[in-house]
Amino acid sequence: MTLIHCEQLTREFKKGNAIIRPLDELDLDVPSGEFMALMGPSGSGKTTLLNLIAGIDTPTRGKLVIDGVNIAELSRNKLAAWRSHHVGYVFQLYNLVPVLTAFENVELPLLLHKLPRPERRRRVHEALEAVGIAERSDHFPRQLSGGQEQRVAIARAIVTDPTILVADEPTGDLDKPSAKAVMELLTRLNQDTAKTIVMVTHDPSTTDYASRTLHLDKGRLARQDALKRDAEHHEVLT
Amino acid sequence: MNILKFFPYIAKQAWRHRVRSGLTLAGIAIAMFLFTAVQAMRTGVEAATTATANDTTLVVYRKDRFCPVTSQLPQDYQRRIEQIPGVVWAVPMKVVVSNCRTSLDVVTYRGVPKDEFIREKSDRFEIIDGSLEDWKRRTDAALVGETLANRRNLRAGMTFDAAGITTYVAGVIRSKDPQDHNVAYTALEFVQLAGRDQLGIVTQFNVKVEDASLLDPVAEAIDDEFARAQDPTQTFGEKAFVARIADDIVELVGFANWLGIGALIAVLALVGNAIVLSVQSRIAEHAVLQTLGFNRQLVALLIIAEGVLLSLLGGALGAAAAVFVAHYGSFALSVEGQSIPIAASWQLLAVGIAVCVALGALAGLVPAWQAGRREIAACFRAV
Repeated sequence: MTLIHCEQLTREFKKGNAIIRPLDELDLDVPSGEFMALMGPSGSGKTTLLNLIAGIDTPTRGKLVIDGVNIAELSRNKLAAWRSHHVGYVFQLYNLVPVLTAFENVELPLLLHKLPRPERRRRVHEALEAVGIAERSDHFPRQLSGGQEQRVAIARAIVTDPTILVADEPTGDLDKPSAKAVMELLTRLNQDTAKTIVMVTHDPSTTDYASRTLHLDKGRLARQDALKRDAEHHEVLT
Repeated sequence: MNILKFFPYIAKQAWRHRVRSGLTLAGIAIAMFLFTAVQAMRTGVEAATTATANDTTLVVYRKDRFCPVTSQLPQDYQRRIEQIPGVVWAVPMKVVVSNCRTSLDVVTYRGVPKDEFIREKSDRFEIIDGSLEDWKRRTDAALVGETLANRRNLRAGMTFDAAGITTYVAGVIRSKDPQDHNVAYTALEFVQLAGRDQLGIVTQFNVKVEDASLLDPVAEAIDDEFARAQDPTQTFGEKAFVARIADDIVELVGFANWLGIGALIAVLALVGNAIVLSVQSRIAEHAVLQTLGFNRQLVALLIIAEGVLLSLLGGALGAAAAVFVAHYGSFALSVEGQSIPIAASWQLLAVGIAVCVALGALAGLVPAWQAGRREIAACFRAV
C-alpha cells in the first residue's frame, strides 16, 4: 500500500532574481513500512524532499499525498497538527533542548496530545526503553555522548507513534560504532513496528540498512537501488 | 490547550542564561521598586488632598499666613464661629512642628481642648494601644498617630522628645484621616505653654459643618465674621487646605510620576532585551518545536510566557520590597504641620504585579511574532 505519493513535486526558491529549483517535478511512491534512503550530492534536493515529506516545507507545485492526505493543501496550523501525529523527525545534530532532561525532551511532543500525565510518562518510558537509554532519562543532553543523544532524539521521534519517521543524516555526526548502533536501532524499529522510514544520508554504508535507495541529482530521480538487508550488510560498518 | 503543561519548559528557558536572567530580574525589581514607591506617594497625596462627599470639616487659618508658626488666632474666636448657622462644632488647635521644612520625619503636635476633642472626634479613630482615660488624666499626655508611633517605635507608657517638648504617650490611635497618622494630640494649654506668651493663641480652628453642601457658605460666613478683626481669617475645606499647604509636595509627586513612567519603560526595555537575545539564540530550537508539531501561536505564546515570567518575578520582588519598606518604614511627607503619608497597600502590590504581567507580555510580543512567522526549513538552512 502506498503511503507517500509524490506527483510532479516541485520546490522553488527565489534568490535575488534567480529561481533555484532543488526539486524538479519529482514522481515517487513509497509503500508503507519501507525503509528508504535518499542519496545525492549537495544541492541534489534530498533534504528538500525530506522536509516536504515531513511537512516542514511546502511544495511550490505538484501533489504530495501522505496516508491519503494532500498535505500541500493544509494550512500552517493544520500542517502542524498533522506533523504532531504523523511525523517523527531525527536530525543530524540531534537538536535536543539543552535545558531539558532526556525524559523531558522525549515528553515534549506528547505535551501536544490530550493525554493524562501517567499515560504520558508511561509512553516516554516505553520510548526510552525502546532505544535503550532509559537509565539516562534524568540526564541532560550535555551529559550524554553523541550516540546517546541521537538515541534520545529517536525516542522523541517515535514517542507519538508517528506514521513516518524521517531522518536527516542521523549518523552524520557520530563515530562508527555509534553510527552502527543508531542504524541498527532504526532497522529494528522498521522491522518490529513496520514504521516507514525516509532517511537522507551521505554515507553509502548506511544505505545497506535501507530496503531502497534513491539517488537524486539536480532535483530529479537519477537512479534507485533495491537492496537486501541481511547480516552481511550489517557488517559493512564494523 | 493547557499552557500550564509547558510551565517547566518555560521556567527552564527563562533561567537558561542565569547571569543574564539574574541581571534582568534585578533591573526589573529596581525599576518596579521605584514605580511602586512613586505610586505609594501618589496614593498618599490623593488620599490627603482629594475631597470626598463625606468631608464636612473646614480649617480656619490666619489670613495670608502659610505656616503654623505665623498663623496665630485668638482662641475666643471659637465661640463666635460656633454661633454661625450650619456649624456643628469648632475645635481650637495649636500646632507645633519639630521641623518647618519638608521632611520624612516631622512630629506635629496638635494641642486641643481634651473634652471637646473626645466629644467631637473620638468616633473618627480607635485606640490601638493605651487608653483615653490616661490621656485625660495627665497634662503632658499625647495620643500618637499610628504612623508616628511606628516610625519612632512608640508605645503607651513611653515618653518622647520633639520640638523641645517632652511628652508622655498615653495612647496610639488608628484613623482613616491621613492628618491623624503623623500627629501627637496633646492638651491645648500644654502646647500653648511650650511657646512664649502663647496662652489664648491658637494656630487654627477645625470646624465641623452640618452638611458637605454647607462647606463653602459657612467658610464664607466665617471669613466675613472676622474680615475687619485684627486677625482676619481664611477658611478652606480640610483637603483643600492640605493641598494648598503641601503644594510643593504635590508638584514634586506629580513630577515623580514621570519617574514612575520611566521605570515602566525600563522594565519593558529590560524584558524585551532579554527575550530578543533569548529568541535570537534559539532560532533552530523554535524550528525544532514547530517540527515536533507546535504551531506558530503556541511557540509565540511560550516566548511571551517567558517574558511574563521574568517580568512577574522581578516586578513582584521590587513591588513587594517597596510595599514592605513603605509599610514598615511608616514614612510621611510633612510640610508646615500637614502630613502626606506614603501609603503602601496590598492593592498597590497587586497593581504592580498586574502592570508587570502586562509589560512582560508586551515585551514578548514582537520577538514572539517574529519567531512564529519564520519558515521552519529556512531556520535549519540558516543554522
